[in-house]
Amino acid sequence: MDWIDSILAAAQPILVSGIVLASLYALMATGLALVWNTLGIFNFSHGIFMTLGAFVAWQFADARGYGLGLSVGIAVSVAALAGLGVLFNRVLIAPFLGRKDIVLVAVMTTLAGAFFLENSALLTWGPRIKQLERILPGNIKLMGSAISLHEFLIVILAPLVLLALWAFLKWTRPGSAIRAVGQNRDSALLLGIRVNAIYALTFAISAALAGGAGVLLGAIRFITPTMGTEPLLKAFIVVILGGLGSFGGTIVSAYLVGFMEAISTYFFGAYWTQAVMFGLFIVILVALPRGLMGRD
Amino acid sequence: MTQPKRLIWPLVLLCLAALPLVNADSYLRHVVIVALLYASLVSSWNLTLGVAGLFNFGHMAFFAIGAYAAAITTQTFGLSPWIGFPIAIASSLVASIVVCLPVLRLKGIYVVLVTFAFGQLCYQVVLNQRDITGGTFGIVSIPPLELFGYSFAEKLNLGYYYAALLLLVLSTAYVKRLIASEFGRSVIALRDNETYAVSRGVAAAQNRLLIFAASGLFPGAVGALYAFYVRSASPDLFGFSLITLGLSMLLVGGIGTLWGPLIGAAVLTVVSELMADLGPARYLVIAVMIVAVLRFFPGGLAGAGPLLARLFRRATGKPQEQEP
Repeated sequence: MDWIDSILAAAQPILVSGIVLASLYALMATGLALVWNTLGIFNFSHGIFMTLGAFVAWQFADARGYGLGLSVGIAVSVAALAGLGVLFNRVLIAPFLGRKDIVLVAVMTTLAGAFFLENSALLTWGPRIKQLERILPGNIKLMGSAISLHEFLIVILAPLVLLALWAFLKWTRPGSAIRAVGQNRDSALLLGIRVNAIYALTFAISAALAGGAGVLLGAIRFITPTMGTEPLLKAFIVVILGGLGSFGGTIVSAYLVGFMEAISTYFFGAYWTQAVMFGLFIVILVALPRGLMGRD
Repeated sequence: MTQPKRLIWPLVLLCLAALPLVNADSYLRHVVIVALLYASLVSSWNLTLGVAGLFNFGHMAFFAIGAYAAAITTQTFGLSPWIGFPIAIASSLVASIVVCLPVLRLKGIYVVLVTFAFGQLCYQVVLNQRDITGGTFGIVSIPPLELFGYSFAEKLNLGYYYAALLLLVLSTAYVKRLIASEFGRSVIALRDNETYAVSRGVAAAQNRLLIFAASGLFPGAVGALYAFYVRSASPDLFGFSLITLGLSMLLVGGIGTLWGPLIGAAVLTVVSELMADLGPARYLVIAVMIVAVLRFFPGGLAGAGPLLARLFRRATGKPQEQEP
């Protein structure tokens, strides 16, 4: 029964690294999906939001920056990103809403926004790599393989944040308003919902989620101006696989993509995995344009 | 009014053809060559993104594929650059058809995502196949173009200059004829009102496939010429930056028009070179330009003439003409 042993031996590291990746993807993809569901635009700046989250936290927390400690850094970073989200919506999205080609225009403006911010980050912080402190130092044994407590925290925190977001959307008045605007903008307007304020709020939540994901990732990978590109592309895959318009689908698919990536990395190596993921992405788009659980 | 208008473009062409006679500056020569290459590249992108209204963001990947195909044929396999050219064109043509097949079934944002993903897929494969593509370092010391023992790099790249100019004249003539043809009008009809066009007997899928193939010819040729000119091919060609730069040329010049992309390529190359000292800061200016053009001048520079004329008429109180 050697083969069972070898599968079990392979399964543990796959499970552990898969669940860490999946948690981060879930945070990124949910923000992307939230904006898509509510505003009907795809935000190509979502990756750079994540990068800036890490850089701002580093600037306030690290001794080479302002040295105010990690908790200040995280708080400032999430708040700053929420503000940036509002600003982005104001400058890059709001003026174009209502245009017939809004989907294409939003791709162009958010791409330009990402280009702007990426080069600003390069000018401000330089190309030298940086890293954040871990929120919790030390390691822990999980299912037989050791992971850092920080990664363990990611695994625990991500579902909690998503649960909180779900509860917010489900039970609070602003949350209901966000869903109402997403379902039918005109009816929402007639009900007296201030649609533009809801758009700004949605963008703020989405950017804050990306910033938080950046803070978490910035302690396990290096912070560079382009660190957000790969997670952004992964978030695309997650959102499409889950189906645009489905909140639950996005989360399920984040965990699916995380595990698929871990399995593929284990068996084919990190280099091939990226090509495999994009190949799979194209196949999914063609075979199931609505994703696993999507609606129109 | 028509007479002077008709003369502008032959005059520009004449100036460009005569420029090397008066110019002895290697930097200016380089800038003009780059602008000419960009002009052919974005005017062929304009066929899918502008004329056909298909959200194709994979065009720069076709260009990169052309550059790599030329580089691999000549550097890795040691064949003549003149064999590299047709192979590069064939590769980018095949790539554009391959991308188009899934796109035929999709709409809107899904088209953007598939075409983006295709570029990323190519990028990952290029990084993977280090033995053939040189991985992150790319392919360097590609042999230069030669004809009858005469190197294109001689006399400040004179050969490359005229090759790029010839390519631009060919691609512009090609795009002009294509837009005016029955096929071009079908494609525009599909863009403007798909339901009506289909009900009048325009075959949507067939036309889309054809326009993708038609726009996939030139990126391969430009890619090959670019690779022979700079004598390298790097994986950066698949990056977001090049897509954004190309996009800014189309938007600033005027998307969907014949001359707009050419003006955009010239203006953006010059502006970008003038700001070369600023380093990454010039990209901030380009990003702001993209958003400003989308916001205030959706027609780009090609739309500025009619816009100014309208403003002038309004200011002088003459009756406004009806928009065609």
